[in-house]
Amino acid sequence: MTPAQAVGALNPAAFARARFRVWWQKRLPRSDTQTLTQGNVYILPTQAGWMFALTLLVLLLASINYQLNLGYVLTFLLAGSGVVSMHVTHGTLRGLTLHLRPVAPGFAGEPVVLDIVLTSPGTSRFGIGLRLLDAPGATLAWIDVPGGGQATAHVSFVPAVRGLHDVPTLSAETRFPLGLFRAWTVWRPAARHLVYPRPESPAPAPPSTRPIVGGPTRSRHGESGEVEGVRAYRRGDPMKLVAWKKAAQALETGAELVSRDTSVSARQELWLDWAACGPVSPEERLSRLAAWTLVAERAGTDFGLRLPGVDLAPEGGEAQRRRCLEALALWRA
Amino acid sequence: MSALLQRRFPPHWPGWQRLPREARDTLFLLAVIAWTVIPHTPHLPGWTIGLTALVLAWRGLLAVESGSLPSKWVLLAVLTIALGLTYWSYGSLLGKEPGVTLSVVLMGLKTLELRARRDAFVVFFLGFFIILTHFLYSQSLAVAVAMLISIWGLLTALVLAHMPVGQPSLRQASGLAARTALLGAPVMALLFALFPRIGPLWGVPQDGVSTTGLSNSLRMGSITEVARDESVAMRVRFERTRPAQSEMYFRGPVLTRFDGLEWRPLGLPFAPAGVPERLPALTPIGEPIRYEATFEPLRVASVPMLEATSEIEPVEGFRFSRREDLQWLGERPIFERIRIKAEAYPRFLLGTSRRSGEIQESLELPPGFNPRILAWARALHAEPANRGLDATSFSGLVLRHIRDGGYDYTLSPGEYGRNAIDEFWLDRKTGFCEHFASAYVVVMRAAGFPARVVTGYQGSDSEPVDGFFIVRQSSAHAWAEYWQTGKGWIRADPTGAVSPDRIGSSIRLSAEPGLVAGAIAAMSPELVASLRSAWEAANNRWNQWVLNYTRGQQLDALKNLGFASPNWEDLALLLIGTLSTLALSGAAWAWLDRHRVDPWVRQLERLKRALRSLGIAAAPHEAPRTLAARVRERLGEQGEPLAAALDALEKQRYGRAAATRPDAALTRRFAADSRRLRGLLAR
Repeated sequence: MTPAQAVGALNPAAFARARFRVWWQKRLPRSDTQTLTQGNVYILPTQAGWMFALTLLVLLLASINYQLNLGYVLTFLLAGSGVVSMHVTHGTLRGLTLHLRPVAPGFAGEPVVLDIVLTSPGTSRFGIGLRLLDAPGATLAWIDVPGGGQATAHVSFVPAVRGLHDVPTLSAETRFPLGLFRAWTVWRPAARHLVYPRPESPAPAPPSTRPIVGGPTRSRHGESGEVEGVRAYRRGDPMKLVAWKKAAQALETGAELVSRDTSVSARQELWLDWAACGPVSPEERLSRLAAWTLVAERAGTDFGLRLPGVDLAPEGGEAQRRRCLEALALWRA
Repeated sequence: MSALLQRRFPPHWPGWQRLPREARDTLFLLAVIAWTVIPHTPHLPGWTIGLTALVLAWRGLLAVESGSLPSKWVLLAVLTIALGLTYWSYGSLLGKEPGVTLSVVLMGLKTLELRARRDAFVVFFLGFFIILTHFLYSQSLAVAVAMLISIWGLLTALVLAHMPVGQPSLRQASGLAARTALLGAPVMALLFALFPRIGPLWGVPQDGVSTTGLSNSLRMGSITEVARDESVAMRVRFERTRPAQSEMYFRGPVLTRFDGLEWRPLGLPFAPAGVPERLPALTPIGEPIRYEATFEPLRVASVPMLEATSEIEPVEGFRFSRREDLQWLGERPIFERIRIKAEAYPRFLLGTSRRSGEIQESLELPPGFNPRILAWARALHAEPANRGLDATSFSGLVLRHIRDGGYDYTLSPGEYGRNAIDEFWLDRKTGFCEHFASAYVVVMRAAGFPARVVTGYQGSDSEPVDGFFIVRQSSAHAWAEYWQTGKGWIRADPTGAVSPDRIGSSIRLSAEPGLVAGAIAAMSPELVASLRSAWEAANNRWNQWVLNYTRGQQLDALKNLGFASPNWEDLALLLIGTLSTLALSGAAWAWLDRHRVDPWVRQLERLKRALRSLGIAAAPHEAPRTLAARVRERLGEQGEPLAAALDALEKQRYGRAAATRPDAALTRRFAADSRRLRGLLAR
């Protein structure tokens, strides 16, 4: 059941509106850079605008009935200002260029921040609010754009599910200067953004590591083995393991204390396996694997990922973490 | 309220610049509201102003201290009290005065409830409404300027409310507001000039009736108030000759019926619409004086025209007719400024043709009132020397008695009782024009001569301003007429008998000047006089051009535009036409703007078309440099001019000293070269 159908079950008018909206949005071309022109800026009076019109009508009737020429002056001055404010409101958006910076991937359930650069070729523009089209009005991110300059607005939203998604439709609006009219534009960025599965929290401990068998880095003498290298100091390292000479150099350059790495012997590899997740649903498995990926990367071990149809060989570091999370985000049964 | 008392006092003031944004905006709005309400001080009961000041001060304190707003119940309680006080002050909650009072109070209370954007809008719209209510009391230049500042302030506050980012300065916001209003001014001027002026939509707004000016009745004491009112009643401009001040009688209601306390006119106060009244026998003598009079809103149907005005030029939207008693009446009370052009004959005979009953009623005296003056008059008439005198001679006798009988002219005669005329004539002998006029008429009637009271204005300021003589409310006057068989109604001004100064020079009792004004006047009377006349001139222009812009002026303007016989439909059509033209040109501009192509792109497109006609491929995305290379490659020496032009274009557009606009000469040369080349290649 689509959201439109869900709404339609309750209210036919809302259903029609939602359907119209879907149809309307589909017509809009997707682009990461949108220049606002006469063609894509819409404007309508706000509730306050209608109230203003009513006030003007009352003022006009009073002026007519009491034959107040100054009353006419007041009424028409306000009417003129209202008409000008309509053009100013529209002009605040018209000519503006919106550009979406590349979106960093995030986890489901955690906020994703869209950086939107607004460029004004001409005059200063005030009071522009940006939000997701579907978000409530109160979540507007307000921004002023200096004349001939740029400003960056940050709009965040929380994706619910993993996967590669289109960036949601955005809208920019303004009521400047008098709030009698609301001009807005609807913008469908072309960019897509990656959402990793929500890491399970708290997650059960990852499966235990096991030494690499038969690999080139196999340990020779156990605990008393030769020093193979250095690694960052970890809490609990014995004093004698600290490589003091190296540490002194490292500390000078602002790095951390280093310890001798005797763990070659303990060089571990970790298999994050679909099958090891226990009897839970596929999405929950992906969540658990995501949590384990984070743990494994933090622990500094090499880790590999095994999903039905996916097999990533064990490796360490940031790149591996990204590869694994991407695989988890995009996995399909 | 205890929380209020526990607060530090005075509150800590961080300085205007360091005030948090919200507090600053609120204080600014409060200041604007105070400025808007203050001019109402003279019209509203003291408690309204006091309560509003208190509420605004409280709100200001809350803003500075970032305190929380009072609960709904507190507001409701204050509102209830205000409603009670309003009812107590006026005995009603409806009508102009209670309405203004309540909107001022509501405006104040609403500031204590500024939570959402909608609340702010309510304050703004109430503010605009309160500005309008000022014009019910005065439309003077000073009020207009003060209210213009109010509008500016309110618009600034509105703009501030829609600049949610950072801390925009007041100067910036007020600049934006002023720009919006100034750009809107042409729309205002257009609407003001062309919006058809129509009459009141429902009933006559009785609320607007002022306590000064002419009225259709005269009661002892009512003219005292007028005599102290320095405001302008009308402005008169004479075309060539002008009458002497002492001959400037502007004739208002003629009062014949007397019930012992009050004088009233005969018959209908209006000329019935559509019934052409039989013309009275006005016999003009000599040459007429042509003049133009601009009347402030009269609020009665009677129009005080110069005696004796025989004809007036029609005024669009009004119908005036002349009654038999030479009084000019509109078909309804006149609530706007009107300008009338007319002809008057300073010398005339009136009323030799008799209207049945009029003379009879001019003799009636109510029984049971003023017995002593009746006896006095009959005794005078019965004296052997006076027996057989005609009306004119007897009138001369009475006027002589007034001159020699120890009567005094004063503007503060004090209170008179039930038999006011007895008291005045025989005991106290002090009064002003209306006392003299009514006593005179009673004496004449008692002696058997028909007589009546005429009210209106007499005299004007002695020096014209901008060519206009100003007649003030203080020039309101009452005089008398008696019937002389064979001649008709003849004017007699008993006030002139006792106080000749009153006639012709328009004595005014002005209020004591303030300290500063007094000091300036003592040092330099000329300066005061010239300042005053400059102010009067500015005011006069204001009245003539802004306030007097009524239907007549609108239609005159249409005539100047070439309409033969304009009416209000023409006005409406012209207005709609102009607005549609403006809207359409706006739409056309928008269309052009939408289809506007960058001139550089257009130029390059033309060059590419020329290249394609030579058989050289030119893709839309290719730069001039690429094209130049291709031209050299394909055409060699022959194509050099084209390639050079393309290189030049590349420099013009992207080079260090890039041009702002494309070079049209280059385009033309390029087109010519390519045509020549095409000819060569075809050969």
